Amino acid sequence: MGPLIPQGIIPMGWDFVIALLIGIAFGFILEASGFSSSRNITGVFYGYNFVVLRVFFTAVVVAMIGLQYFDYFGWLDLNQIYVLPTFLSPMIVGAVIMGVGFIIGGFCPGTSYTAIAIGKIDAMVFTGGLFLGIFLFSEFFPFFEQFYYSDNMGNITIGEFLGISNLMFTMIFTAIAVIAFYVTWLIEKRVRKNHEEYKF
Amino acid sequence: MNKNYIILMSMLLVLAAGLLLLPEKNNPKQMNPEELMWDIVQPTRYVTTDDVAKSIIEQDPLLMLVDVRPESDFQDFALSGAINLPLEGFASDDTRAELDYPKKNIVFYSNDDLRADQAWVLAKRLGFNNVYVLRGGLNQWIKTIIQPVEPAQTASAEEFSLYTFRKGASLFFTGTKLSTTATTKESVVVTRKKKSSAVAGGC
Repeated sequence: MGPLIPQGIIPMGWDFVIALLIGIAFGFILEASGFSSSRNITGVFYGYNFVVLRVFFTAVVVAMIGLQYFDYFGWLDLNQIYVLPTFLSPMIVGAVIMGVGFIIGGFCPGTSYTAIAIGKIDAMVFTGGLFLGIFLFSEFFPFFEQFYYSDNMGNITIGEFLGISNLMFTMIFTAIAVIAFYVTWLIEKRVRKNHEEYKF
Repeated sequence: MNKNYIILMSMLLVLAAGLLLLPEKNNPKQMNPEELMWDIVQPTRYVTTDDVAKSIIEQDPLLMLVDVRPESDFQDFALSGAINLPLEGFASDDTRAELDYPKKNIVFYSNDDLRADQAWVLAKRLGFNNVYVLRGGLNQWIKTIIQPVEPAQTASAEEFSLYTFRKGASLFFTGTKLSTTATTKESVVVTRKKKSSAVAGGC
């Protein structure tokens, strides 16, 4: 039956309402997971707190496995899901910029808003910088345009790129996630002095 | 590490491994209902009896006639070269194998076009795009090809040429001899002129 909007089960006009509801839920989960704290976010880089990695890996793995089962039971047609096109080298550059921004600023774009919601002044400054960055990028876009659209690999999934089935990739990715959970737990145990105080 | 996390992680791993063990999904690719609706209203999915007659006479190798009536009807009368795939049990694997000629033009027919239309929709949903329906079915076949009606004297030249074709096709399919108008043979009487003068003797 799904996806609901392309199949016309939910009218097109509702997508902004749904986006708003999902956004509120996303913000709530971010704040509830402690992502409003810069310490949690930069902790991944310094190796004392991997909660960000765990939350996102869990979200991705649950969504991956869930969607594959939905597709299998016929609740959702995965072929109708839009796959974002991959621009390999611009994406790598963008990811590096984003990562550096994470470490310097202590927020990712989403968590800066949840931090504002709980009244953090550094997050307000961070968001100001974010808008300045958006403005500068838009103004200087013609200079980056050629690079921005380079290396287009089309709408491919990793499974298609590697030549394995998406189910197989889901399994491999889940295994990677579980290994990552265990390894980060080991790292935390070594780096943190007061390890017993944490729940995970 | 907390025991709950270990349980949750093993659940995720089991579910992910379960994906690999799932039996092959048994819902073949289906046509989008909107596309099907669009194709249904297209008049191009019909072929006329004249087209089919012409293809049979010319021994068109791309023509594939499929009779969707019950087998007993098929035994009584069928178009030449047709195969029988009754509508009952049409969506079986055998049917799929029988129709799996992507290059051929598959024409369904029944007594009228009702059952052939049903077969057409089923075949379309099974993913065959090269399928057509004989408009009017065998009733129309009898009406137009086997017993063509002579058009009125005031009819257009096209109608007359169509009639001529149908008449010829009728001869082809029924095998009756050409009933030419009986020309009464009059014995030609040769009348010779009497010689006016007897042969005179020579000198």
